[in-house]
Amino acid sequence: MVDHSLCENQTDESLVGMSLVDPDHFLCLSRRYEDKLLRYIIRVSKFSREEAEDVLQDVFIKTYYNLNGFDKELKFSSWIYRITHNEAVSAIRKKSVRPSIAFEEEDLVKFGDVFDMTKEMDNSLDRKMIDEALYRLDEKYREVLVLRFLDEKDYTEIADILKKPTSTIGNLILRGKKLFKEEYEKLTYGK
Amino acid sequence: MENKNISQIAIERIKEEKIKPISRKVFNLKKIFFWTAVVLSLIIGAFMFSLVLSGLFNNDWDLYDRFGFNFIFKTLPYFWLGSLVVFTVLGEYYYRQTLFGYRHTIIVVVGVYMAFSILFGSAFYIIGASDFFEKALVDVTPVYRNIIFNRGEVWTHPEKGLLSGKITEVSDDEIKIVDGDGLIWTVNVNSLSDRDDLNLKINDQVKVTGDIMDDNFFIAEELRFW
Repeated sequence: MVDHSLCENQTDESLVGMSLVDPDHFLCLSRRYEDKLLRYIIRVSKFSREEAEDVLQDVFIKTYYNLNGFDKELKFSSWIYRITHNEAVSAIRKKSVRPSIAFEEEDLVKFGDVFDMTKEMDNSLDRKMIDEALYRLDEKYREVLVLRFLDEKDYTEIADILKKPTSTIGNLILRGKKLFKEEYEKLTYGK
Repeated sequence: MENKNISQIAIERIKEEKIKPISRKVFNLKKIFFWTAVVLSLIIGAFMFSLVLSGLFNNDWDLYDRFGFNFIFKTLPYFWLGSLVVFTVLGEYYYRQTLFGYRHTIIVVVGVYMAFSILFGSAFYIIGASDFFEKALVDVTPVYRNIIFNRGEVWTHPEKGLLSGKITEVSDDEIKIVDGDGLIWTVNVNSLSDRDDLNLKINDQVKVTGDIMDDNFFIAEELRFW
């Protein structure tokens, strides 16, 4: 049995190597990402917590199964986010649900800071409006906005997660912000 | 967000279902395959470009005045241009499958591919590799032979003064050639000013301009090799 307190000082990359020798070490890695990835799945899908947990289980199993394919030139977090993103997208398609964003209070604050909308965002109606404004965006804009402003990934990491050029990510974020603001304003005026 | 069980459940499933990571060899083989495909498509693309150059430089531009734009237009090396496009698309696709292939835009990847093709294709053309490659293709590929020697049937119009085919007999004043339709032509080569220098041999593929005089009889004004 692995002493998980010993994992704490290990980098993701060394834990990958250790997991290949003893699968119990993989528990250290998966625990490290469990909350972040679960939150990400819930944000980009309309899944309940239980459904998101099922997707996350599959993510961990797929990650372990492909562990030898992890290249240390890439950040482990980008790699596991990529797998999570792909699994979430595939689960959304299978269930044919409308992709949506599940906001928590801290998400609202993050979004408010970025879009300078904090004054208006303290009730559930605004939360719904942000959700609706994001839903109205094309998927390509929605996913970069979530990764950039809610998961706080930098451009290179988003490029690695979504497998797109960094310059494309920059353009998508710029355009996505503009479109989101326009949609949000349309909804606010109609309130 | 409280969530303590998913990792534990996942690891238990991994153990129960005896899931093992895919061997590193599989991933290494995939990497080798895609990089080999990238390099091969680059090299083939460069050859394609050298053949485009060869087609352009050997396109009988001097006959433009006599036979018009249509003649030149029909004899451009479309086959190689098309092949170059196909290998550029393949090269771009295989590069995308490499580890960081997605990091560059399609314009950059195609631009680098084209630059490589132009640079090395020109080098292949200058050192004569394109001629060697083309001859080898003609010898072993009947489909290619048909494309090249009957391209647009442009050179198979004796009534317009254009004849082409393979030499089957050579005598002092005449040669016999079999054209793309299988017809045997007797070609008088007396009026060729460079007759002695041409060193005509059986099986040479030639293009002849001149005048049709009678059924399957042609007087050559000029003769060129394919």
